[in-house]
Amino acid sequence: MSLSLRQAAITRLRGWSARRHGADRLPVRIVRRRIYILPTRFGLLYAGLLGAMLLAALNYNSNLALAFAFLLVSVALVAMHHCHRNLLNLSVDAQTETDAITGTDARFQFRLRNESALERRDIEIHAAGAVAIGGVTPGGTGEITLAVPVSARGVTRWPQFELRTRHPFGWFRAWTYVQGTLTAFVAPRPAGNRPLPAAAGEPGRTARGEIRGDEDFAGLRAYVPGVPLKHMAWKVLARGGEPAVRSYTGPAARPQWLEWSALEGLGTEARLSQLCRWVLQSEGNQSAFGLRLPGVEVAPGRGAAHRSACLRALAAFSPAAAPAAAQSLAPARHG
Amino acid sequence: MSVRDASAAPVSYAQLRAICICLGLALATHVASLPLWLPLTVGALVALRLRLAALGRAAPGRVLRLVLSALTIGLLFLQFHTFNGLAAGSALLCLMAGLKVLETRTRRDLYIVTLIIYFLILAAMLQNQSFWLLGLVVGVWWLTSAAWLRITAAAPPPGWRRSVGYAGRILAQALPLTVIFWLFFPRFDGPLWQLPPSAGGAESGLSDSMSPGDITDLVQSDDIAFRVHFLAATPPAAQRYWRGPVLHDFDGHTWRRGEAGGDAAGAGTVPQPAAGAYPYSLSLEPHDHHWIFALDWPTRWNLPGAVLTSDYMLVGPAPVSQPIEVLITSVSQVAEPPPLGSAQRRRDTQLPPGRNARTIELARELRDAHADDGGYVQAVLDRFHTEPFYYTLSPPPLGADSVDEFLFETRRGFCGHYASAFATLMRAGGIPARVVTGYHGGTYNRFADYWIVRQSDAHAWVEIWVRNQGWLRVDPTSAVAAGRVERGAADLGSAAPAFAGSWHRTPWLADLRLRIDALRSVWRARILLFDHRSQDALLGLLHIPEPDAQKLVMVLGVGLALGLAYLTWQVRRESQPPEQDPTQRAYARLCRKLASAGLPRSPHEGAEAYGARVARLRPDLAAPVTALCASYSRLRYGPGNGSGTGAARAARQAFAAAVRGFHPGAARRASVSS
Repeated sequence: MSLSLRQAAITRLRGWSARRHGADRLPVRIVRRRIYILPTRFGLLYAGLLGAMLLAALNYNSNLALAFAFLLVSVALVAMHHCHRNLLNLSVDAQTETDAITGTDARFQFRLRNESALERRDIEIHAAGAVAIGGVTPGGTGEITLAVPVSARGVTRWPQFELRTRHPFGWFRAWTYVQGTLTAFVAPRPAGNRPLPAAAGEPGRTARGEIRGDEDFAGLRAYVPGVPLKHMAWKVLARGGEPAVRSYTGPAARPQWLEWSALEGLGTEARLSQLCRWVLQSEGNQSAFGLRLPGVEVAPGRGAAHRSACLRALAAFSPAAAPAAAQSLAPARHG
Repeated sequence: MSVRDASAAPVSYAQLRAICICLGLALATHVASLPLWLPLTVGALVALRLRLAALGRAAPGRVLRLVLSALTIGLLFLQFHTFNGLAAGSALLCLMAGLKVLETRTRRDLYIVTLIIYFLILAAMLQNQSFWLLGLVVGVWWLTSAAWLRITAAAPPPGWRRSVGYAGRILAQALPLTVIFWLFFPRFDGPLWQLPPSAGGAESGLSDSMSPGDITDLVQSDDIAFRVHFLAATPPAAQRYWRGPVLHDFDGHTWRRGEAGGDAAGAGTVPQPAAGAYPYSLSLEPHDHHWIFALDWPTRWNLPGAVLTSDYMLVGPAPVSQPIEVLITSVSQVAEPPPLGSAQRRRDTQLPPGRNARTIELARELRDAHADDGGYVQAVLDRFHTEPFYYTLSPPPLGADSVDEFLFETRRGFCGHYASAFATLMRAGGIPARVVTGYHGGTYNRFADYWIVRQSDAHAWVEIWVRNQGWLRVDPTSAVAAGRVERGAADLGSAAPAFAGSWHRTPWLADLRLRIDALRSVWRARILLFDHRSQDALLGLLHIPEPDAQKLVMVLGVGLALGLAYLTWQVRRESQPPEQDPTQRAYARLCRKLASAGLPRSPHEGAEAYGARVARLRPDLAAPVTALCASYSRLRYGPGNGSGTGAARAARQAFAAAVRGFHPGAARRASVSS
């Protein structure tokens, strides 16, 4: 009963705070008017103790005991201010989009910036039912990773997150809501045992062939993030040129298509799982590949960004609204 | 989701050990008032739990815990017969802390132990308000709070040093508020509700009975019974008898106050002063009895509800459980002694039948030789003087016929023995007599003009009824020949220090001790006895007319508002980026002015380079900007920057003023128009 009342109150407060502050643009500086503070249950217990102490001291007319009781009351007031200021004037930034695979954790990266000469301790970040704890040194930046367990494929969004602290004594809880949407693209769990389809125009290609293909040097091309380090043209960079990558010809250099349509006979999720496994395998082989789903196409490419684009396409895929919805969700494409 | 609630996290050995150390210190503040087995039991419980934790094992099972709880709490009840009252309550609290430590599993359990520790500290201060206790208490609070900071931390806490430092900062910030609360929180005259009677030996000092040997323990104690400051003249040493319980009933061994002893119908018997009025303020330490040690004979006092009994005991309305201060006037001589009623005469001449037969025989012999009362009294005193009676603090034990044994066999004793024997002889000779216990003498503190009366000054003497003169004080102990005194004692009537410890033999140590006591007496008067009258005086100092509780509460509110505003300002300032100094602020202002004139400073441009660039782009501003930038560089990076000398401060102020007076826009218009 009381728990549900509390839940209801918190829900209302969240909504009210969202309306009051509007959507936030990260990074957000935590100013006074957005920090809330209330005693914890333990704080209430402590307050009860203080009341008993005051009564005892007054009743026994003991000035020394009274001084001690007042000291404890004052310490509680000081602790309240310390709890509040533990969040005050922090700047919070977050990497609000993250990739995950069903059954693992979606990891959100938070960055707290503390310009004051005061150490910030025990800052909790609450979002999506998960908690992470960290601190920030004076004048420093703290990186906190929030791991949210995800169990279903799809694109999950949480409209806000919360910074909370019970520092120093745990008698008070100060918190603030940040209206920054956290998005997790949850790719299907990799599964299935269909063999990786062959690259286009190379029937009878072997696994060894792909690797050999990397060895025929064909020239330099511009650097894109995610290229394997061993392909970097270090000598060009050392001469002061723009970062460049040695490109190779060979069977593996030719794009390979991972097709939804190649998996006839499987259910939607099974197909997506198989495609996910293929994406991860192809990524491991460092070959260029593309992904085709009904209504969505990720052009061939390689590297981490490309992999992320493919996984997001798999996460966002919705068979019902395939043609329309998938287009609008099309992730950033890297050729 | 273990981090969601740090209080549910299992407790570590280090945390447990820290809290156990704090608990040990809190127990130390109580050790004097606890039965010996209790701290030992709590220590054993704590040690058992620590040992288990060190071995990485959990708390003992529920059955064992229940059995231990039932056993120890039962034992405690057998000892005190109640859990009500300060001593029994504190003992129970100590025991519960130990039992709680034993069952500790999570941090939440430690939170409870911490709360108990705080309450134990408070309870110690309810029993004892000494100067030194305050130091100990602040130390225990500090350590406990540092431990608490570490226990409640969600992330692994920093080193102990930093936790202690942080707790110290919190303490420092809390002190101003504490002082405001303490000064202006309204005090009440009496307790809010009836205090439970003390149980378990909180009483100290004289009791309302006296057996041979009783006073020895007292005489060996250095504790202070009370302090006295004579407002006018100081009575001579021979008159400084401080009156405590008057004892009437004797059973051959023990003197008791008796049923009718405390009849307060004597309210009308306030003696009429004849000569020598001595006003004084008596600062009585708590002893948990009703009586107040007034000088013979009290005539006026300012303690509401206090009355004088028919045997001139000053009795307060409640046991003295907290330090009090009473203004009393006593007189050395009483005019018109009241007549002795027949019931009173009967009681004060009664002796237990069949006891002390040889004494009664001796009284008859002496009485036959001396018909008049004066001669009889003198004969008895002479006997103490001439016969080989010894004064000693370690007399042999006496049995049921204590007076016979003392007078005819052992002949060794101190004030109690002599008073008992003398009173018995008087009664056997038909003279009404009663034993008075109290204090005699005291030590003068020349550093602060007051007398210290210690338990070691405890004394017993006799009052006899003499027709037409009333009750006369006779001190039989002083009749013992000086050569037969085995240990120096105050009750021989000398003003010399009492029980001879090494303290008194070293003059500078004795002086130091007196100086410390002078401080203590100030502590007592200013802090411990701070009450609503002191608060009224305080409001008077603040020029608030007709102080009352309502005005006090208003002042408290204003004071707290100011204190909290200061705290808020102090705390928030620390959360902001470090402030720039005035020179930097002025330079930032200069940059803003130039930027609004279309000449922003690039982020990595130094002051001199910026000045040079502005001079190039705006020749009309060249002179002032170059000069300002150069003086900024000099002030900020030159020798002696930031120094507090007058010249440096003047230079900084001149720079700030020059920046204020600099207007790039105006300069351009001037150049265009020319």
